[in-house]
Amino acid sequence: MTFKVGIDVGGTFTDFLLMDRQGRTSVHKELSTPFDPSIAVLSGLAALAALRAMPFERFVRDLELIVHGTTVTTNAVLTGNAARTGLLATRGFRDALEMRRGVREEMYNNRYHPPPPIVPRRLRLPVTERVDAEGNIVTPLHEEDVISSLEEFRNQGVEAVAICFLHAHANRQNEEAAARLVREALPDAYVSASCEVLPQVRFYERTSTTVLNAGVGPILSRYLRNLTQKLEAARYRGKLLIMQSNGGVASPATVARLAAMTLLSGPAAAPAAGLALGYQDFISVDMGGTSFDAALVRGGQPAVTTSGTVNRYALALPSMEINTIGAGGGSIAWIDDGGLLRMGPQSAGADPGPACYGRGGAQPTCTDANLVLGYLSAEFFAGGRVRLDLQASKAAIGERIGKRLGMDVVAAAHGMYQVINVNMASAIREISVQKGYDPREFPLICAGGAGPIHGAAIAAELGIRRIVVPRDSSIFCAAGMLRTDLKHDFVRSCARVLPRGKDSRVKALLAEMQREARATLKTEGIGSAAQRFLYSMDLRYLGQYHEVNVGVPPKMLEDWKAMRERFHQRHDALYGYSLREERTPVELLNLRLTAIGVTRKPASGREPRRPASCRQAFKGKRSVYLGGRFSAVPVYDGERLGHGNRLAGPAIIESVNTTLVVPRGWNAEYDALGSCILKT
Amino acid sequence: MKTRIDPIQLSVLQRRLKSITEEMGLTLLRTTRSPILNEARDFVTGLYDAQGRMLEQTEYIPVLAFALQPACENVLRFFGDDIHPGDVILHNDVFSGGNQNNDVAVFKPIFHGKKLVAWTACKGHQADIGGAVRGGYNPEAREVWQEALRIPAVKIHERGKLRRDVWNLIFANIRLKIVEEDIKAQIGGCTVGERGYLALVERFGRQRLEALLAQLFDSTETMVRKEIRAIPDGTYRGESWAFYDGVSDGSKMKINLAVSVRGDEVTFDFSGSSPQTPGFVNAPYSATASALMLTFLMLINPDIPHNDGILRPIRIVNPEGSFLNARFPAATTFGNSITGPTSDAIFRAFSQALPKMVSAGWNRFLGFAISGHDPRHDRPYVDILFLSLKGGSGGTWGADGYDHIGLINCAGGILAQDYEMFEIHDPHFLLKHEYLPDSAGAGRWRGGLGVETEFVIRGENVMGVAFGDGVEEEARAFGFFGGKPGSRNAITLRYPNGETRTAKTKEIIRGIPQGTVFHQLAGGGGGYGDPRERPAELVAADVSNGVVSIEAARKDYGYEEN
Repeated sequence: MTFKVGIDVGGTFTDFLLMDRQGRTSVHKELSTPFDPSIAVLSGLAALAALRAMPFERFVRDLELIVHGTTVTTNAVLTGNAARTGLLATRGFRDALEMRRGVREEMYNNRYHPPPPIVPRRLRLPVTERVDAEGNIVTPLHEEDVISSLEEFRNQGVEAVAICFLHAHANRQNEEAAARLVREALPDAYVSASCEVLPQVRFYERTSTTVLNAGVGPILSRYLRNLTQKLEAARYRGKLLIMQSNGGVASPATVARLAAMTLLSGPAAAPAAGLALGYQDFISVDMGGTSFDAALVRGGQPAVTTSGTVNRYALALPSMEINTIGAGGGSIAWIDDGGLLRMGPQSAGADPGPACYGRGGAQPTCTDANLVLGYLSAEFFAGGRVRLDLQASKAAIGERIGKRLGMDVVAAAHGMYQVINVNMASAIREISVQKGYDPREFPLICAGGAGPIHGAAIAAELGIRRIVVPRDSSIFCAAGMLRTDLKHDFVRSCARVLPRGKDSRVKALLAEMQREARATLKTEGIGSAAQRFLYSMDLRYLGQYHEVNVGVPPKMLEDWKAMRERFHQRHDALYGYSLREERTPVELLNLRLTAIGVTRKPASGREPRRPASCRQAFKGKRSVYLGGRFSAVPVYDGERLGHGNRLAGPAIIESVNTTLVVPRGWNAEYDALGSCILKT
Repeated sequence: MKTRIDPIQLSVLQRRLKSITEEMGLTLLRTTRSPILNEARDFVTGLYDAQGRMLEQTEYIPVLAFALQPACENVLRFFGDDIHPGDVILHNDVFSGGNQNNDVAVFKPIFHGKKLVAWTACKGHQADIGGAVRGGYNPEAREVWQEALRIPAVKIHERGKLRRDVWNLIFANIRLKIVEEDIKAQIGGCTVGERGYLALVERFGRQRLEALLAQLFDSTETMVRKEIRAIPDGTYRGESWAFYDGVSDGSKMKINLAVSVRGDEVTFDFSGSSPQTPGFVNAPYSATASALMLTFLMLINPDIPHNDGILRPIRIVNPEGSFLNARFPAATTFGNSITGPTSDAIFRAFSQALPKMVSAGWNRFLGFAISGHDPRHDRPYVDILFLSLKGGSGGTWGADGYDHIGLINCAGGILAQDYEMFEIHDPHFLLKHEYLPDSAGAGRWRGGLGVETEFVIRGENVMGVAFGDGVEEEARAFGFFGGKPGSRNAITLRYPNGETRTAKTKEIIRGIPQGTVFHQLAGGGGGYGDPRERPAELVAADVSNGVVSIEAARKDYGYEEN
């Protein structure tokens, strides 16, 4: 057993990163197979075996770990193909899901449709029962309501049932009783009770999360079954772990129970990939064909959010805080009514793709502009596998942009380049400046096929002076997957003013979470030595609407005086004031536990240092638009550059899957991990 | 002589200005304490040039779309040359450009070296502003002094130094301590805006920036003019009514609107509207202008940048002395709530010119601010009940109305409270919160659904202030082009002794006993187009989902099952 592989299924490509014991890597990209993503997974594995010149069977036998990121659940929700789901709700409150608290995101657009609910109203059925805010059972469960609802669900061919009752976070008894009835009556249904998915206060968020979990549960279960069967058929005997939105991995069994944990998992491995490069504080960006993902990591800790959304529905399970906007190589340029140039969010995708792909795309895209400006080479796109049509790019840009703005093709292309860079810089500003962090203090880790072409220009927008382009930047997330730990989040709501002394309810809830955490990790084969528990509490001043998450060292767990002080400090740091002097009571809302199963990380392959000269990689010169004009710029073969090589901009560095633009005023140097570091 | 537009630099500049005002807004969201600011997001941030022209603005709810500019002009006029680095100015006065007494603006001049280059401003709805009733909504007010403390343009910082005397004078007249904190947060927001704008000045250079801004105004103006030119020339009339002035039962106020479109310019003329009322059902000029702008933005491309250029082709005639532009010293706190009737008149007028852009009537807002004592924590509590007031919007060509969206002033920008947080916050026990069947006006595109809410009041010494509209038959959200009207609003209190009391649309109800059941119907929006043209499968879906009864489906839609 000598290999590990990270597999990241994307919309266009499925990325593979293979790593051996010594940390040496092989990269492969396979076209995705959306109707059954496991097909691309298997054919990619076969391709990796071929790359290693090994018979497939032997290669599979030598595989000890597959870490797999999948977007099957996300796609199911976005395309309206979630499983047929029924919802049981407290009588009088069955519309909370569809109401989404009454928000219309586009305030001036009277044609803006609400997103269709995963469960239509006719399958949201009321049940008589009631728990109050303190957790007292005011009305016991009327079982006959559940039973008659199940009849209806059966008639409607429901595959999954979500249950969300008022204040089930404070007392789960009614919900559990209902869940038992459902499981007995519909043994094949995927049952998702809110007290099991997310026992956390806030009814809409909990309902929406529970429904999302139910809606994708059967889909993920089916996919994982299919995948494991294919792997078994190939005689795979290693471990399979699935990437989750919280930046950690989990066993297929665990994740099948909490299927919603995969909904925002697409870009969730990026922070881990950055950490693996040895950085503790960084901003990472990943620019692909249609989207741009930006994340900020500080002190080795990626930011986590519990206010994610999927198709405009709340997903309150913890997920990596990643800002995604519609900006990528395929982003289409257009002119608005005021005559201003815009880029995206519409994308030409992979089919028909940019005009230069010559597959019938007539719209000018970011990739077309990059070709016109000389950043991309018509002959060496995707390592020469795809030939680009420069004339098609020029025609599209000239016709649809240049002519309308009264500028030549080059000026128009450069305009497109600038506008998309500003859009991406704004997305980074949102996760840095707007959260109180100065982007200039962070290196920019620049990944994705299109990222390194724009990195230096984005950095200049933000005043960032250091850029890191990882060796395998085009499969950044797949690389991150091999560096993640098992990670499970637990939460219990426990609304009360911070106690003065011992609190038996808090104690019981903490013990409950610990038990659950240990059991989960144990089934995943993690012994107690590798278990790490991190605690935090959501606190606020009595009367406030938004809570603040405050980390708690285990020994401080029931030291309320110290806790109160920690909250004052955190509030002051975040918002510039505290109410310590006013003696405003502090309210506890949620107790949280994150359980981590530490995995063995593969060592990163370090390259031997070589002389600084880059002569061996010099490919010639080509005309590139930098600093406001075309000039002959040296082009290097990135595959032949490594640790110790140094060069000064302007230069272009071409690798098989990415192109790196080094403008004048920037210096590039390769480090021991094979990352190219740009400084100005 | 216009110089040629550089669309690239302009796109970049416009995006940057936008992100500065958004960053100011984010600062307010995170630092203010009052839920009406950080939860209901009732605030606006903006940048203005040295002459007070709008450079960019981000309103977090539409009713503030035009709420800063008139005040900014007034501040500039009042202080003239007496503006210095480090000054900070406060303003709320509705008789000098303010839009509502509770909406207090902070203005800060931006100096580059010694030269005044721009202004940054934040305006937010304060939890209290003095006056006779806590929170500011006082249906019994007859003049401005019973409503609020008036703050005409006044310096609270002078050359970087806090004027403690002025500060104390103001906050000695406001009940709640958090207002002081929230004003500090607004000053913080302005500082964030100042920092961002100075970075722009450094980047472009002062003169280049000014030239670009002039071009940006022109570009925006071009966009608006193009939109207006697409509207057929003509004069279009629309009228609507607001009901009950809070003084005389059965009173009605008329909005008389003539919209004239001539080429690429448009005039909104409110001459002939009812005179101002003796109570608080009056609007300051800015509130009416905001209502107009937000409705107009719904009729044209809403992505046009919000700067001075957008205002240039629009003329407003709104003579002083009417209830849409009340003369000093009228009470005006209800002014923002006249937005519903004003929008109705605008949609009706444009229905002749832009039949596919207008929407049928939105449910008119009826609010109930509740305050009392919470026995669980032994402390006072206040709640504006956003949970129960959100009715439906009107249907439009190609789209049903939006369910449970609430007042057009906010257009879905304000969230209803979460049920569980509501019960944790307030001594209230919910019985029901669901879509109200048959509330939506029938139509080829039906209105949005209204909502029914019911809860038990468990607070002590509870008082409620009703303020709103929409309970009369005529005040229902109107239908368009054969569409039917939405349902009515109603608030009823069921006292523990079995008596019930129906709230008027403007009144204070005192002494509400513990155990009273509060019941509210927020009505649906109006329908658009003949309901018989609605595809049968959509009617069937509404019936199977229980939001349209089978009887109503047969009667209104001519629906036949099978």
